[in-house]
Amino acid sequence: MSTQVSRRRFLKLAGVGAAGAALAACAPQAAPQPTQAPAAATSAPEVQATAAPSGEKKKLIFSSYTWSGYEAAMRNIIDSWAKEHPDVDVEQQYIAEDYWTKVQTQVAGGTPPDVGISDYGRMLPYAKSGILLPISELIKRDKFPTDQMLPDAVAQYRWVKGEFDSGGEGGEMYGLPSDAQDQIFAYNKKMFDEANVKYPTDDWTWDDVVTAGKAITKADQNKWGIQRIDLWIMTKGNFLFPAGGANHSADLKKSLVDDPASVEAWKWNWDLIYTHKIAPPPGAQAQTNPFMSGQVAMVVDGVWWISDFANITDFGWDIALQPKHPKTGKRTTSVESDGWWIFKATKYVDDSWSLMQYLANPAGQKRFGDAGYVIPSCFPDIGKEWYSKKPPENRMKALDNIVQDSVKVDYTYFEFFTCFDAYRPPIEAAFADGTDIEKALAEAATIHNEELAKAWDKFNAS
Amino acid sequence: MAAKTVTLKGMRRREERTAWLFIAPVFLGILVFQVYPTIFSLYASLTSWDLISAPRWVGIRNYVNLVTTDRFFFKTMWTTARYTLGVVLPSMAISLFFASLLNQSIRFKHLYRAIYFVPVVAPTVALALLWGWLYEPNFGIINAALRVVGIKGPAWLGTTQWALRSVIIMAIWAGLGFQIVIFLAGLQAVPQEYYEASAIDGANSLQKFRHITLPLISPVTFFVLVTGIIGTFQDFSLVWVLTGGGPAGATQLIVMYLYGLAFRLQRMGVASAVAYSVFVVIVGLTILNFVFSKRWVFYEETT
Repeated sequence: MSTQVSRRRFLKLAGVGAAGAALAACAPQAAPQPTQAPAAATSAPEVQATAAPSGEKKKLIFSSYTWSGYEAAMRNIIDSWAKEHPDVDVEQQYIAEDYWTKVQTQVAGGTPPDVGISDYGRMLPYAKSGILLPISELIKRDKFPTDQMLPDAVAQYRWVKGEFDSGGEGGEMYGLPSDAQDQIFAYNKKMFDEANVKYPTDDWTWDDVVTAGKAITKADQNKWGIQRIDLWIMTKGNFLFPAGGANHSADLKKSLVDDPASVEAWKWNWDLIYTHKIAPPPGAQAQTNPFMSGQVAMVVDGVWWISDFANITDFGWDIALQPKHPKTGKRTTSVESDGWWIFKATKYVDDSWSLMQYLANPAGQKRFGDAGYVIPSCFPDIGKEWYSKKPPENRMKALDNIVQDSVKVDYTYFEFFTCFDAYRPPIEAAFADGTDIEKALAEAATIHNEELAKAWDKFNAS
Repeated sequence: MAAKTVTLKGMRRREERTAWLFIAPVFLGILVFQVYPTIFSLYASLTSWDLISAPRWVGIRNYVNLVTTDRFFFKTMWTTARYTLGVVLPSMAISLFFASLLNQSIRFKHLYRAIYFVPVVAPTVALALLWGWLYEPNFGIINAALRVVGIKGPAWLGTTQWALRSVIIMAIWAGLGFQIVIFLAGLQAVPQEYYEASAIDGANSLQKFRHITLPLISPVTFFVLVTGIIGTFQDFSLVWVLTGGGPAGATQLIVMYLYGLAFRLQRMGVASAVAYSVFVVIVGLTILNFVFSKRWVFYEETT
């Protein structure tokens, strides 16, 4: 009998092998069976202490979006926690783009991370759907110092079951804030000097911004007084609240986008481009940061920009308190907080909580500051160290703004994104095309009211 | 020992089994990554599903809401239709023009073909970022060139009036290379005898193009038209990176709307309903194309 393999037989065997490999790759893995240890001595009915079978390390998944030097800083910090917990193996997942799409897909697939970076805008729907672990009992058990954190930061991770918005007093905590991101008012000293205009002071009002902007603007040289206030920044409450306006009524049943005080704030912003002509026209800001490129003399933007602005070498810059409303004398900065939360599906609650505390407690937040993680802490005393750094000279003003004038960011209610996506196009069109802003706000308010009604129907039905 | 009887039927069966074994990996891949998601998506379109809770059956409610109460469905479909019309027809005309030039005996024509094909193989994100810079109203080359001739260029991506036109121009440029290659293949297949015969009859270049070239490349033209409509209707990444759908939704295409519904607003059921609606529209347009093709597409009869 011949021992040679014929060409046909060889091809058949290769085909069988390839099919087998494909089947093996496509076969679903058996779901890991959770191991249960006796519950730890705690009064919290939902907290379970679990342990891996002896000899096996517990596997914890930590997940976050990432930018700039954040990932390197985070890896160092989490690795140092892991050294103190040799029985835990932490898999760190950092996703640069479309993070929330990935998290939602992981949840849908039944494989959410254990600990993840949190989002105040998603806290309510996630908590409502029951995928987040309530941590109030853990906070109480381990005496985590939430009372030392900025109240508006804590409020973003607190929810009273059945309420349409987060922040209600006495609600359950579903996350811990790690930072306090406000809006800063930065100015280009060189452009002010060239126009012979005095730098902004703490007493500046909206009118002073316009006056200075007019003196500084040279449109033919593409030099402008101020960048228009971004729609997102307005919607968070900045400029709206000082004018006495708001996005919606306190009971979240009625839109106040067309309230006269709100209209005043929006129109002031719109006038920067089309009436006073001290802000660059639309489409001119997409590719470069107009403040960093020396195109605009003043900007209101997130505190996270300080780390990038610190690299500016072409001109000196500083920050001042946000300008006040000329009549009410008020100024407001919204405060939004990233933070951490634990997904309820975690098999290792105590380890997840231990990691979360490590990241969120005062020592943990100090580590971020030391590592160069630039978003300042929501513990004001810890944050002071970051705010004391230079540049700019008056970085501390940003903390003063938070402590004196901050409000919780105004888009944490149920179905906010659906409502906002529906009512913002008329406002965007008015800013893009220079059309009637008051008419646009009236149209936006009509849409907003319709969407709020739908959101309430959905909330009550769920 | 009796010899094993080998029949033709048996050999064919063995060959068939071998063939199936070889295509099994691809077949499984198609089954798992295309057929199953397509069927599951149909199921999802009949549910209310936010990805983080279990799907809840709602029947055809998503489809009814799309056509009765959805604020953006028809608007976005209309934007997509305008975008498709604005991209497909001009790009076919321009690519046929360039293919005709490349079909001549010119120097460096292989280099030109490669240059025109570069956008087809370049990463989409890079192309979008490039055009973002070209369209920059103050620093961009386009407005700088217009300023030289005394024209103040618009804010290309900044106004609702110009944004869609701007992305159409970019999409035409990005797709030219592929269509040029297809048309070139069609032009090169036209028998030269027809041109020689028409030259003897005194036909000029335009007449040759109209009466010989166009009819004989009509199958290729039909292919480019059908695939162009199908592909352009589903465009996403190029426009998403360049404008994100703005300003004020002026460049929001239907697939971008679908994506936002699914992953931003967590309405996977509605997003799936949009996907199937788009499928129905594309199939309808394709059927229409096939029906009308009988009037202007001429296939060479084999003798």
